[in-house]
Amino acid sequence: MRTKLAVLVASIGLLFAVAPMWAHHAFTAEFDAKQPIKLRGTVAKVELINPHSWIHIDVKGEDGQVVRWMVEGGTPNTLLRRGFTKTSLPVGTEIIADGYRAKDGSNRANGRDITFPDGRKIFLGGSSPDAPPEK
Amino acid sequence: MRHRFLASMCCLVAAIAMVWLAPGSAVGQARGSLEVASAAKTAPHLRTPDGQPDLQGLWSFATITPLERPDELAGKEFFTEKEAVDYETGVLKRNNMDRRDGSAEADVTRAYNDFWWDRGTRVVKTRRTSLVIDPPDGRVPALTTEAQTRQDDRAAKNRGHEFDGPENRPLPERCLVLQGSGPPMLPTAYNNNTRIVQAPGYVMILVEMGHEVRVIPLDGRPHLPQGVRQWKGDSRGHWEGDTLIVETTNFTDKTAFRGASENMRLIERFRRADADTLLYQFTVDDPSAFTKPWTAEVPVTITPGPLFEYACHEGNYGMRGALAGAREEEKRAAPKAQTETK
Repeated sequence: MRTKLAVLVASIGLLFAVAPMWAHHAFTAEFDAKQPIKLRGTVAKVELINPHSWIHIDVKGEDGQVVRWMVEGGTPNTLLRRGFTKTSLPVGTEIIADGYRAKDGSNRANGRDITFPDGRKIFLGGSSPDAPPEK
Repeated sequence: MRHRFLASMCCLVAAIAMVWLAPGSAVGQARGSLEVASAAKTAPHLRTPDGQPDLQGLWSFATITPLERPDELAGKEFFTEKEAVDYETGVLKRNNMDRRDGSAEADVTRAYNDFWWDRGTRVVKTRRTSLVIDPPDGRVPALTTEAQTRQDDRAAKNRGHEFDGPENRPLPERCLVLQGSGPPMLPTAYNNNTRIVQAPGYVMILVEMGHEVRVIPLDGRPHLPQGVRQWKGDSRGHWEGDTLIVETTNFTDKTAFRGASENMRLIERFRRADADTLLYQFTVDDPSAFTKPWTAEVPVTITPGPLFEYACHEGNYGMRGALAGAREEEKRAAPKAQTETK
């Protein structure tokens, strides 16, 4: 079933541990590290809701059937503050979501990286070292 | 009682309606030179029309300075300018969520790329190496035996039941008390903004994380009766010179800030240090939980905003997802367990 959905299993880097992070909920409880997933589809709906944003995408399988997936993002407040609104990602836009599938087997995943098909990141910036310094 | 409340709220709303603007001149002070003494006078242009120090505005708690001083910085209270830059670079590299290295578990924990995270990029402008300023080692004092036992008992009771139901999940996941929202308020990974509004007889503090509001009376009224316990306690304020002092008591035993008991007495101090900076300090006094009182300081910075609502329950699919994930894992484990017992 999974192969029919044009779901590609991503290869994962190894070795480096990271410091534990706090976030609103336990990601490892909800999403399965053993099920990395890469979804290519078109935006059907953007839910800028609290506490997390969700992007709904239609993914066409090899059999031509379209299945809707939900991809989780972070707090909508960060998006709004950075000028990203509900219309910034129009319905029909083709995107690739690279993340991990929900443990409950539903068609949900976290959007670890969300890019356009040409590789450009949709969400850029934040507090990365390349970001402009704060005031 | 109800009338008094309504009258109070009317005063507050009226005051909000005629919010006086914070003066625009931005005379920043050099890093590391903020004057902490409460005797310091707030400049005349940073006062409200009725003469109070003007604490109003939208303030950001975002900083990468840790609450407690890391072991490798033991004995070092302040960074030099260069050390601060080196530290910032190191932390940002370590925290960079765009990286995809490490184990799959680590990658899941990072959750999303850096765009979504907003914890700030700088250490506090005093260049302290920890937010804790007392005790001088920059560490939260040890828990008392009583508090440690209480914490261990609570953890033991929940062990093996972490995903039984929503009641077993941590308070932030349940949208009850969000990380950093306080009191006391602390920097966290995003939604670090706080709005302060002053009205005659009141100060209002709205925290973006969880959009939680405290309306703090300044008229000297007593705290709520001991039997009334609240997630965010019961706050009362007064001015000492140009510093706003807020005392909060009447916490629930569920809030348990870093192992504190329901009898935690929290003292917060707010002082307008300069046009861009509000010096926020808090002291945790809870002899039944901590071996001594401790104090932390966050120089918070003015931020343009806006501040958005964070209605955590609006679409808390995460709770359902985590519990559903646990049910699925139980189902998968069940046949295996049966085989093992045969």
